[in-house]
Amino acid sequence: MTDLHPICALGATQPQTRRFGPLTLAENSELALASVALRRDAASPDLPQPVPGEWQAAGDIAAFWTGPDQWMVEGPGLAATDFAAQIAARAPGCSVTEQTDGFVAFEITSTTGPGPIRALLEKLVNVDAHRFTAGHATRTGFHHMSVFVIRRADDRLALIGMRSAAGTIWHALTDAAEQLEVMA
Amino acid sequence: MTRLTGGLIDRSRSLNFTFDGKSYTGHAGDTLASALLANDVRLMGRSFKYHRPRGVVSSGSEEPNALVELRSGAWQEPNTRATVAELFDELEAKSQNKIGSLSFDFLAVNDLLSPFFAAGFYYKTFMWPRAFWEKLYEPAIRRAAGLGSLTHEADPDSYDAGFLHCDLLVIGGGAAGIAAALTAARSGARVILADEDFRLGGRLLAESNPLEQPATDWIAGVEAEFASLPNLRVMRRTTVWGAFDHGVFGAVERVSDHLPTPGKRVRQSLWRITAKRAVLAAGATERHIPFANNDRPGVMLAGAMRAYANRWAVSPANRVAIFTSNDEGHRTAVDLAAKGVEIIAVVDARTGAKSQGGYRTIAGGHVTDSKGRLGLTSVQVTANGQTEWLDCGALGVAGGWNPNLHLASHHRGRPQWDDAAQAFLAQDGAVPGLTIAGAAAGKGSTAQALASGAQAAQAALGDLGITATLPDLPRGEDAQMNQHALWHVPGKGRAWVDFQNDVTVKDVKLAHQENMVPVEHLKRWTTLGMATDQGKTSNVTALAVMAELTGKSINQTGTTIFRPPYTPVSMGVLGGGDTGVHFRPRRLTPTHEWAKSQGAVFVEVGQWMRAQWYPKPGETHWRQSVDREVLATRKGVGICDVTTLGKVDVQGADAGEFLNRVYANAMGSLKVGMVRYGLMLREDGFAWDDGTCARLSETQYVVTTTTANAGTIYRHMEFCRQCLWPELDVQLISTTDAWAQLSVAGPNARKLLERVVDGFDLSNEAFPFMACAALTICGGLRARIFRISFSGELAYEIAVPARYGNALMARLIEKGADLGATPYGTETLGVLRIEKGHAAGNELNGQTTAQMLGMGRMVSTKKDSIGAVLSRREGMVADRRVLVGLQPVDAADPVVAGSHLFTQGAEQNTATDQGWITSACFSPHIGSAIGLGYLENGAERMGEVITAANPLQGQSVAMRIVSAHFVDPEGGRLRD
Amino acid sequence: MLIPHPLLGLRDAEEFTYLGDARLLDRPDGMAEGAAAAFYEYVHLRDNPAGVHRELWFHEQGDRSWLVVTRNTVTHEILGAELARNVKGGAA
Repeated sequence: MTDLHPICALGATQPQTRRFGPLTLAENSELALASVALRRDAASPDLPQPVPGEWQAAGDIAAFWTGPDQWMVEGPGLAATDFAAQIAARAPGCSVTEQTDGFVAFEITSTTGPGPIRALLEKLVNVDAHRFTAGHATRTGFHHMSVFVIRRADDRLALIGMRSAAGTIWHALTDAAEQLEVMA
Repeated sequence: MTRLTGGLIDRSRSLNFTFDGKSYTGHAGDTLASALLANDVRLMGRSFKYHRPRGVVSSGSEEPNALVELRSGAWQEPNTRATVAELFDELEAKSQNKIGSLSFDFLAVNDLLSPFFAAGFYYKTFMWPRAFWEKLYEPAIRRAAGLGSLTHEADPDSYDAGFLHCDLLVIGGGAAGIAAALTAARSGARVILADEDFRLGGRLLAESNPLEQPATDWIAGVEAEFASLPNLRVMRRTTVWGAFDHGVFGAVERVSDHLPTPGKRVRQSLWRITAKRAVLAAGATERHIPFANNDRPGVMLAGAMRAYANRWAVSPANRVAIFTSNDEGHRTAVDLAAKGVEIIAVVDARTGAKSQGGYRTIAGGHVTDSKGRLGLTSVQVTANGQTEWLDCGALGVAGGWNPNLHLASHHRGRPQWDDAAQAFLAQDGAVPGLTIAGAAAGKGSTAQALASGAQAAQAALGDLGITATLPDLPRGEDAQMNQHALWHVPGKGRAWVDFQNDVTVKDVKLAHQENMVPVEHLKRWTTLGMATDQGKTSNVTALAVMAELTGKSINQTGTTIFRPPYTPVSMGVLGGGDTGVHFRPRRLTPTHEWAKSQGAVFVEVGQWMRAQWYPKPGETHWRQSVDREVLATRKGVGICDVTTLGKVDVQGADAGEFLNRVYANAMGSLKVGMVRYGLMLREDGFAWDDGTCARLSETQYVVTTTTANAGTIYRHMEFCRQCLWPELDVQLISTTDAWAQLSVAGPNARKLLERVVDGFDLSNEAFPFMACAALTICGGLRARIFRISFSGELAYEIAVPARYGNALMARLIEKGADLGATPYGTETLGVLRIEKGHAAGNELNGQTTAQMLGMGRMVSTKKDSIGAVLSRREGMVADRRVLVGLQPVDAADPVVAGSHLFTQGAEQNTATDQGWITSACFSPHIGSAIGLGYLENGAERMGEVITAANPLQGQSVAMRIVSAHFVDPEGGRLRD
Repeated sequence: MLIPHPLLGLRDAEEFTYLGDARLLDRPDGMAEGAAAAFYEYVHLRDNPAGVHRELWFHEQGDRSWLVVTRNTVTHEILGAELARNVKGGAA
């Protein structure tokens, strides 16, 4: 085990969490990520392969579609491990790339069901919040960047963007959530 | 004037406000305009050009006259229409366009000089002498003519943006809009109803008895149902201001403009609404009838007068006259009379017109003049050859209605004149997916509006396969206007067409005389319709006058069209909150926190914040810090965060072949575990970007791009992969953020790294120059190491997962204390690379070639690659300029990038220009400023002294031509 | 504008980066006879029609697919969109 101490994308040693009315926004520093792309003639990997626009959990991992023949695999709680190596073992002959530290993930939960999640989505990204139901995932524009948005459940949303811009993303997220709280 | 009876104001809630410093009281539900009228204030502003006293004309967002400045200090906002400014307690408003007081404006002298200020005056007069424009004319004109004044403080409010999607967007919350929304929402479709007003109802609130039941009762019932429907979103105070392609609409919601202060709320929200279908139910705007001196405070639209009486319980005067060309004027007379206002007369242009109540009607009459310096006192009426003056404090003018079809022409659809409606109507399909209902479609009676709204919604949803049933709607009044065309009253005095831009009938005539006949010319010559109201009350009238002058029909004359926005939109909300540091994403490097703790000075590099230098105590000038960092690196070891370089993971069976085609030089032949410098060309043959390719395995490379081009090059590589060679087995993904990459450079670099690697052999034999490897460091952390050098020193770049970058930086500095380990920033990075003669963005500026960079032979002729063919073009091959080093003969002389190079003593012009300096810095290694530059035949001119000319600063410096490699030209250091 | 992405449905044009004429797919062979002339035409000579145009759009903020979009440049009507890799594959 290395004796170097990692820091979270928002710059602190502990992940940030904030509450705004029914919404809780939390930096998820424990999410491992690896991208998987099929090579020509590769065997189908032993991984969930959701169709375009979707996210799928399977056991201790989950995956969402990121492009033709390409997925991002998530390992909740596995950030400290060599996740890409584990995924490569399940995807022989595929192009696997470590992505854990390429991104920052924010998990958003609602204590009052889907309403606040939809209201927040409307302030964040140009997707149809009503049709973006549980199991949907997409990459889209967000304040001049692009982010992955995943509806993990009716009352849960994740926003995954580039790690270096964590502060900007967090600011935009908390601003939007705060505005909903003020207007409620 | 006291309040009338009735109305939709809350008399139990009084609101205090000031106008031009004087205190007044209004009620909740008032607009600033209605409250001012209730306090007997008719004079609300001065006109733009002639500074004529002006009062409110309308009761809605079309208002041309009553523009005021709201609030004060940083919140001061000019050009707010008093007619849509919702009254709140302690509202502070000021009139604009005056010097002195509103009732005595010094600039009113412009009115006396009006013969000189007619249309085209500016164009003709201020043309010469040209030098006078900037210094004299423009400031004077701006002082006199400006619309309101801006605060010079930053906007203290915040704004945000959002995205909505629906099946049907209904624009306008009057009778037609409500009927459309009700029809659609009951069908289960997802509906948005947006209305600019703070209260739903539109003209239903302005008329006395539009429905068989009290209109407010019906609206209250509908609103209760609306509130219960989860598939409907009602957006009050929301203006849909633009219709864009494919059902995308722009809307602004005024979240807190009606509050004394926004508190934590945003002031306004910008909404992008994507709608499968839309119904435009924006109503209509009444037009006036120009007559001599028709612009006095108290002259207003008859429909607005009715709205003020019925909705706001106020009349602009106790004695009112009406001038009409249709039945609408009579409605106003009836409504006002019912509230106890004295109707002096209804002057009806139609011969044979009959009174519809107990008031005097002058049939076949025209209003031909008016009196009253600061407010109307009387009007002159001419009928049947007789002229008389009628005393009155207000005149309501009813000239017919112009449908609010603005959004329907946002795709350049040109409205057509409809004789039956006596109005321009939008053509079907002018905006695909948008249908028009109610008065906006020329269906102006309440009954027509309700029916057409419901039908429009039903049809629109039918297109989407959603069945909607027409709801039971209340019976609405169904009176027809019986419009008689009367576009202006002939006569001598000035008759205003466009109040806001001070355009008169005479100006239109002048435009005709000057042959500015086409409507677009008319508009630009007279500035008709070009003010903030975009001619809502004036355009059609002016066209009709032009039609009359040319003897053409209105349809032949045609009309101008409207562009977004429908009403003015503040720049703040268009920014949607992305201001200040949030103007664009801010990216931080993995060592940002550590650098901050060290007191680093940061610099914005594109989106990135990078440490520029690390000042030490006692250093008072940045050069002290940078010189120290440079020397420490060349003497000991320096460490710099280079994470910002773009990194792309390239994998696949054909990864090598792919990179062969993307880079000018060969990459397929690179051995596993080695790195190669790579140069990319644009397809036109010019140099584009450079970086390194590291081959991690037979099927995996990691390539780097410059920081600035990271996004562009990734896009280009995807273009190559998907559009040019999809047959190649190759996969790409960016890993820029995933790895923290630190450059460790200097003679002690190896010694330092040996202290952190987990037993990895860094000896020159085991890990030579341009080697790369995966390894672990600091007790098991996976890392990558590349032996590459940008500084000319023994150097490595070491990469770890980004979260560990901060700790690794601290560790390296700590472990290297005895080796002179020094962090360095982008300034030192630049000095080191200039001293080494390494090209960067300044040298790869899009105008330079591989040959100029001294890399001409790198462009392989054995294979095809992007840009290779055109890089061999005759003109590019003939270019003799190459990269050289430049050193001032007098070490004290400055070197300025951008200076041009000339043979000593030669005349300095483009024909004798021999090149330019691309990069310059002070080199602590050399002890003087140095530069890199492109110079004709530079390679053969070593030692020659030339002139670097910087005419912008009057500098001319003698420079000696030297090798671009100021440091270690043999390259021994980096290979040791 | 909305671009009908073949895999993701209607997506806002703001997510895309525009490149231009889809003829860029037909890159000449740099090793062939007459390559210089062919590249001169390829790089510099494009049609810019007022009307139906096949053009390249990159889904930069989305799935990073290059699309060939057929669009009427006058009305902005979009007549179709395909993945560029399929267009190229079909032509090969």
